[in-house]
Amino acid sequence: MELNSNTAALILIFFTAIVVVLGLLIAVRPELTRARGGKMLAFVALCILPVLAVWAGGNEHLQRSTSTQFCLSCHVMADYGKSLYLDDKSYIPAVHFQNSLVPRDHACFTCHTDYTMFGDVHAKWRGLHHVYVQYLGKIPKPENIKLYTPFNNRECLHCHSGMRAYEEASSHRKTPQQLTQMATNQLSCMSSDCHDIVHEVGNWGDATFWTPKQETK
Amino acid sequence: MTLPLIEHRIRWSGLLIACGLVIQMITLIWVHPLAFMAFLLLGCPLVGIGILLFLYSIVTPEATYRD
Repeated sequence: MELNSNTAALILIFFTAIVVVLGLLIAVRPELTRARGGKMLAFVALCILPVLAVWAGGNEHLQRSTSTQFCLSCHVMADYGKSLYLDDKSYIPAVHFQNSLVPRDHACFTCHTDYTMFGDVHAKWRGLHHVYVQYLGKIPKPENIKLYTPFNNRECLHCHSGMRAYEEASSHRKTPQQLTQMATNQLSCMSSDCHDIVHEVGNWGDATFWTPKQETK
Repeated sequence: MTLPLIEHRIRWSGLLIACGLVIQMITLIWVHPLAFMAFLLLGCPLVGIGILLFLYSIVTPEATYRD
Protein backbone atom coordinates (compact mmCIF):
# COMPACT_ATOMS: atom_id res chain seq x y z
CA MET A 1 0.00 0.00 0.00
CA GLU A 2 1.42 3.35 -1.00
CA LEU A 3 0.58 6.25 1.26
CA ASN A 4 -0.68 9.47 -0.22
CA SER A 5 2.00 12.15 0.15
CA ASN A 6 -0.28 14.35 2.27
CA THR A 7 -1.13 11.46 4.56
CA ALA A 8 2.54 10.63 4.99
CA ALA A 9 3.30 14.27 5.80
CA LEU A 10 0.48 14.41 8.36
CA ILE A 11 1.70 11.23 10.05
CA LEU A 12 5.21 12.67 10.12
CA ILE A 13 4.01 15.98 11.58
CA PHE A 14 2.06 14.07 14.25
CA PHE A 15 5.10 11.93 15.07
CA THR A 16 7.33 15.02 15.24
CA ALA A 17 4.83 16.72 17.53
CA ILE A 18 5.00 13.76 19.94
CA VAL A 19 8.81 13.97 19.95
CA VAL A 20 8.58 17.73 20.61
CA VAL A 21 6.28 17.11 23.57
CA LEU A 22 8.64 14.47 24.98
CA GLY A 23 11.63 16.78 24.46
CA LEU A 24 9.86 19.63 26.22
CA LEU A 25 8.82 17.30 29.05
CA ILE A 26 12.48 16.46 29.67
CA ALA A 27 13.44 20.13 29.29
CA VAL A 28 10.84 21.29 31.81
CA ARG A 29 11.42 18.43 34.25
CA PRO A 30 15.09 17.43 33.87
CA GLU A 31 14.99 15.98 37.37
CA LEU A 32 13.06 13.07 35.84
CA THR A 33 16.42 11.80 34.62
CA ARG A 34 17.52 11.07 38.19
CA ALA A 35 15.54 7.84 38.12
CA ARG A 36 16.51 4.89 35.92
CA GLY A 37 13.27 5.08 33.94
CA GLY A 38 13.78 8.80 33.42
CA LYS A 39 17.27 8.22 32.04
CA MET A 40 15.88 5.74 29.54
CA LEU A 41 13.07 8.14 28.61
CA ALA A 42 15.59 10.95 28.09
CA PHE A 43 17.77 8.78 25.87
CA VAL A 44 14.79 7.81 23.73
CA ALA A 45 13.28 11.33 23.67
CA LEU A 46 16.50 13.27 23.14
CA CYS A 47 18.48 10.90 20.98
CA ILE A 48 16.66 8.06 19.24
CA LEU A 49 13.34 9.72 18.39
CA PRO A 50 14.85 13.04 17.14
CA VAL A 51 17.21 11.12 14.85
CA LEU A 52 14.25 9.17 13.49
CA ALA A 53 12.17 12.34 13.08
CA VAL A 54 14.92 14.21 11.23
CA TRP A 55 15.69 11.22 9.02
CA ALA A 56 11.99 10.89 8.12
CA GLY A 57 11.67 14.67 7.63
CA GLY A 58 14.72 14.75 5.37
CA ASN A 59 13.35 11.85 3.38
CA GLU A 60 10.01 13.63 2.96
CA HIS A 61 11.73 16.85 1.89
CA LEU A 62 13.90 15.02 -0.63
CA GLN A 63 10.82 13.31 -2.01
CA ARG A 64 9.01 16.64 -2.28
CA SER A 65 11.96 18.22 -4.04
CA THR A 66 11.30 15.91 -6.98
CA SER A 67 7.72 17.12 -7.39
CA THR A 68 6.53 19.30 -10.25
CA GLN A 69 4.97 21.70 -7.73
CA PHE A 70 8.37 22.15 -6.07
CA CYS A 71 10.19 22.84 -9.35
CA LEU A 72 7.59 25.34 -10.48
CA SER A 73 7.43 27.18 -7.16
CA CYS A 74 10.02 29.68 -8.42
CA HIS A 75 8.34 32.31 -10.58
CA VAL A 76 10.97 32.09 -13.30
CA MET A 77 9.94 28.49 -14.01
CA ALA A 78 6.26 29.32 -14.54
CA ASP A 79 6.51 29.34 -18.34
CA TYR A 80 8.25 25.98 -18.30
CA GLY A 81 5.30 24.62 -16.35
CA LYS A 82 2.93 26.24 -18.85
CA SER A 83 4.80 24.59 -21.72
CA LEU A 84 3.61 21.22 -20.41
CA TYR A 85 0.09 22.22 -21.44
CA LEU A 86 0.89 23.33 -25.00
CA ASP A 87 -1.68 21.84 -27.35
CA ASP A 88 0.86 20.75 -29.94
CA LYS A 89 2.22 17.24 -30.38
CA SER A 90 5.57 18.47 -31.63
CA TYR A 91 6.52 19.67 -28.14
CA ILE A 92 8.21 16.70 -26.46
CA PRO A 93 7.63 17.75 -22.81
CA ALA A 94 3.95 18.51 -23.49
CA VAL A 95 3.38 15.12 -25.16
CA HIS A 96 5.04 13.29 -22.30
CA PHE A 97 3.13 15.24 -19.65
CA GLN A 98 -0.30 15.18 -21.26
CA ASN A 99 -0.17 11.48 -22.13
CA SER A 100 1.17 10.50 -18.70
CA LEU A 101 4.36 9.12 -20.25
CA VAL A 102 5.97 10.70 -17.19
CA PRO A 103 4.25 10.94 -13.80
CA ARG A 104 2.61 14.37 -13.86
CA ASP A 105 3.43 15.14 -10.25
CA HIS A 106 7.14 14.42 -10.89
CA ALA A 107 7.32 15.54 -14.51
CA CYS A 108 10.37 17.86 -14.35
CA PHE A 109 12.48 15.51 -12.26
CA THR A 110 11.71 12.45 -14.37
CA CYS A 111 13.38 13.95 -17.45
CA HIS A 112 15.89 16.29 -15.83
CA THR A 113 17.59 14.05 -13.29
CA ASP A 114 20.71 12.10 -14.26
CA TYR A 115 20.07 8.39 -14.14
CA THR A 116 23.47 7.65 -12.68
CA MET A 117 24.68 6.56 -9.25
CA PHE A 118 25.08 10.15 -8.03
CA GLY A 119 22.50 11.72 -10.33
CA ASP A 120 20.19 12.68 -7.48
CA VAL A 121 23.09 14.22 -5.55
CA HIS A 122 24.07 16.30 -8.58
CA ALA A 123 20.44 17.35 -9.06
CA LYS A 124 20.20 18.47 -5.42
CA TRP A 125 23.49 20.32 -5.63
CA ARG A 126 22.28 22.18 -8.71
CA GLY A 127 19.01 22.82 -6.89
CA LEU A 128 20.89 24.55 -4.05
CA HIS A 129 22.58 26.73 -6.66
CA HIS A 130 19.17 27.55 -8.14
CA VAL A 131 17.88 28.64 -4.71
CA TYR A 132 20.96 30.84 -4.30
CA VAL A 133 20.36 32.48 -7.68
CA GLN A 134 16.65 32.89 -6.97
CA TYR A 135 17.13 34.77 -3.71
CA LEU A 136 20.65 36.19 -3.79
CA GLY A 137 21.74 36.21 -7.40
CA LYS A 138 20.61 37.67 -10.71
CA ILE A 139 17.60 35.79 -12.01
CA PRO A 140 17.87 35.14 -15.75
CA LYS A 141 14.97 35.59 -18.14
CA PRO A 142 13.04 32.33 -18.58
CA GLU A 143 14.05 32.06 -22.26
CA ASN A 144 17.71 32.39 -21.30
CA ILE A 145 17.68 29.38 -18.98
CA LYS A 146 19.76 26.63 -20.54
CA LEU A 147 20.78 23.12 -19.54
CA TYR A 148 24.20 22.80 -17.88
CA THR A 149 25.17 20.12 -20.37
CA PRO A 150 23.53 18.85 -23.57
CA PHE A 151 20.65 16.51 -22.83
CA ASN A 152 21.99 12.98 -22.55
CA ASN A 153 20.14 10.18 -24.38
CA ARG A 154 20.58 8.12 -21.23
CA GLU A 155 17.73 10.07 -19.63
CA CYS A 156 15.40 9.26 -22.57
CA LEU A 157 16.50 5.64 -22.77
CA HIS A 158 15.90 5.13 -19.07
CA CYS A 159 12.26 4.66 -20.13
CA HIS A 160 12.40 4.16 -23.90
CA SER A 161 15.10 1.52 -24.07
CA GLY A 162 13.52 -1.83 -24.84
CA MET A 163 10.20 -0.28 -25.90
CA ARG A 164 8.85 -1.87 -29.05
CA ALA A 165 7.61 1.47 -30.38
CA TYR A 166 11.08 2.92 -29.92
CA GLU A 167 13.10 0.02 -31.32
CA GLU A 168 10.84 -0.72 -34.29
CA ALA A 169 10.22 2.87 -35.38
CA SER A 170 11.48 3.33 -38.94
CA SER A 171 12.86 6.73 -37.99
CA HIS A 172 15.12 4.97 -35.47
CA ARG A 173 16.35 2.44 -38.05
CA LYS A 174 17.47 4.65 -40.90
CA THR A 175 20.90 3.03 -40.65
CA PRO A 176 21.88 -0.33 -39.09
CA GLN A 177 23.99 1.48 -36.48
CA GLN A 178 21.43 4.08 -35.49
CA LEU A 179 20.09 2.38 -32.35
CA THR A 180 23.64 1.73 -31.15
CA GLN A 181 24.63 5.32 -31.87
CA MET A 182 21.66 6.56 -29.88
CA ALA A 183 22.37 4.16 -27.03
CA THR A 184 25.94 5.44 -26.80
CA ASN A 185 24.88 9.09 -27.07
CA GLN A 186 26.76 9.58 -30.35
CA LEU A 187 23.51 10.56 -32.03
CA SER A 188 21.43 12.81 -29.81
CA CYS A 189 17.68 12.35 -29.62
CA MET A 190 17.33 16.09 -29.08
CA SER A 191 19.76 17.79 -31.40
CA SER A 192 19.49 15.77 -34.58
CA ASP A 193 16.36 17.40 -36.01
CA CYS A 194 14.29 14.57 -34.60
CA HIS A 195 12.96 15.52 -31.16
CA ASP A 196 14.44 18.97 -30.86
CA ILE A 197 11.29 20.90 -30.01
CA VAL A 198 11.22 21.07 -26.24
CA HIS A 199 9.94 23.85 -23.96
CA GLU A 200 10.74 26.67 -26.43
CA VAL A 201 9.80 29.31 -23.87
CA GLY A 202 9.34 32.69 -25.51
CA ASN A 203 8.69 31.21 -28.97
CA TRP A 204 5.13 30.01 -28.68
CA GLY A 205 3.50 32.62 -30.88
CA ASP A 206 -0.26 32.16 -30.71
CA ALA A 207 -0.12 28.69 -29.22
CA THR A 208 -3.16 27.11 -27.60
CA PHE A 209 -3.14 25.18 -24.38
CA TRP A 210 -4.65 21.90 -23.26
CA THR A 211 -7.06 21.99 -20.33
CA PRO A 212 -7.22 18.68 -18.49
CA LYS A 213 -10.66 17.41 -17.62
CA GLN A 214 -11.44 16.96 -13.95
CA GLU A 215 -10.35 13.52 -12.84
CA THR A 216 -13.16 11.27 -11.67
CA LYS A 217 -12.54 8.86 -8.82
CA MET B 1 16.51 26.25 42.54
CA THR B 2 19.93 25.47 41.06
CA LEU B 3 20.02 22.44 38.81
CA PRO B 4 22.98 20.06 38.66
CA LEU B 5 25.10 20.68 35.59
CA ILE B 6 23.91 17.52 33.85
CA GLU B 7 20.26 18.52 34.23
CA HIS B 8 21.04 22.03 33.07
CA ARG B 9 22.58 20.60 29.89
CA ILE B 10 19.71 18.15 29.42
CA ARG B 11 17.26 21.03 29.73
CA TRP B 12 19.07 22.95 26.99
CA SER B 13 19.31 19.81 24.90
CA GLY B 14 15.55 19.27 25.14
CA LEU B 15 14.84 22.89 24.25
CA LEU B 16 17.16 22.85 21.23
CA ILE B 17 15.70 19.59 19.94
CA ALA B 18 12.14 20.83 20.46
CA CYS B 19 12.92 24.09 18.60
CA GLY B 20 14.53 22.21 15.72
CA LEU B 21 11.62 19.82 15.43
CA VAL B 22 9.06 22.63 15.57
CA ILE B 23 10.90 24.22 12.62
CA GLN B 24 10.79 20.86 10.85
CA MET B 25 7.03 20.61 11.45
CA ILE B 26 6.48 24.07 10.00
CA THR B 27 8.57 23.27 6.92
CA LEU B 28 6.54 20.12 6.32
CA ILE B 29 3.41 22.20 5.82
CA TRP B 30 4.91 24.04 2.83
CA VAL B 31 6.16 22.55 -0.47
CA HIS B 32 8.76 25.12 -1.44
CA PRO B 33 12.56 25.33 -1.80
CA LEU B 34 12.70 27.76 1.14
CA ALA B 35 10.99 25.17 3.35
CA PHE B 36 13.68 22.69 2.36
CA MET B 37 16.41 25.24 3.11
CA ALA B 38 14.86 26.10 6.49
CA PHE B 39 14.77 22.41 7.35
CA LEU B 40 18.36 21.94 6.22
CA LEU B 41 19.91 25.10 7.67
CA LEU B 42 17.82 25.70 10.81
CA GLY B 43 15.97 22.55 11.85
CA CYS B 44 18.73 20.00 11.32
CA PRO B 45 21.51 21.98 13.05
CA LEU B 46 19.33 22.73 16.11
CA VAL B 47 18.35 19.07 16.51
CA GLY B 48 21.93 17.97 15.84
CA ILE B 49 23.38 20.34 18.45
CA GLY B 50 20.69 19.26 20.92
CA ILE B 51 21.50 15.58 20.46
CA LEU B 52 25.24 16.21 20.72
CA LEU B 53 24.73 18.28 23.87
CA PHE B 54 22.67 15.47 25.40
CA LEU B 55 25.30 12.87 24.52
CA TYR B 56 28.03 15.17 25.85
CA SER B 57 26.12 15.67 29.07
CA ILE B 58 25.82 11.96 29.77
CA VAL B 59 29.45 11.10 29.02
CA THR B 60 31.13 14.02 30.80
CA PRO B 61 32.47 12.82 34.18
CA GLU B 62 32.05 16.13 36.03
CA ALA B 63 28.40 16.25 35.10
CA THR B 64 27.39 12.85 36.48
CA TYR B 65 25.04 12.58 39.42
CA ARG B 66 26.50 12.34 42.89
CA ASP B 67 24.83 10.39 45.69
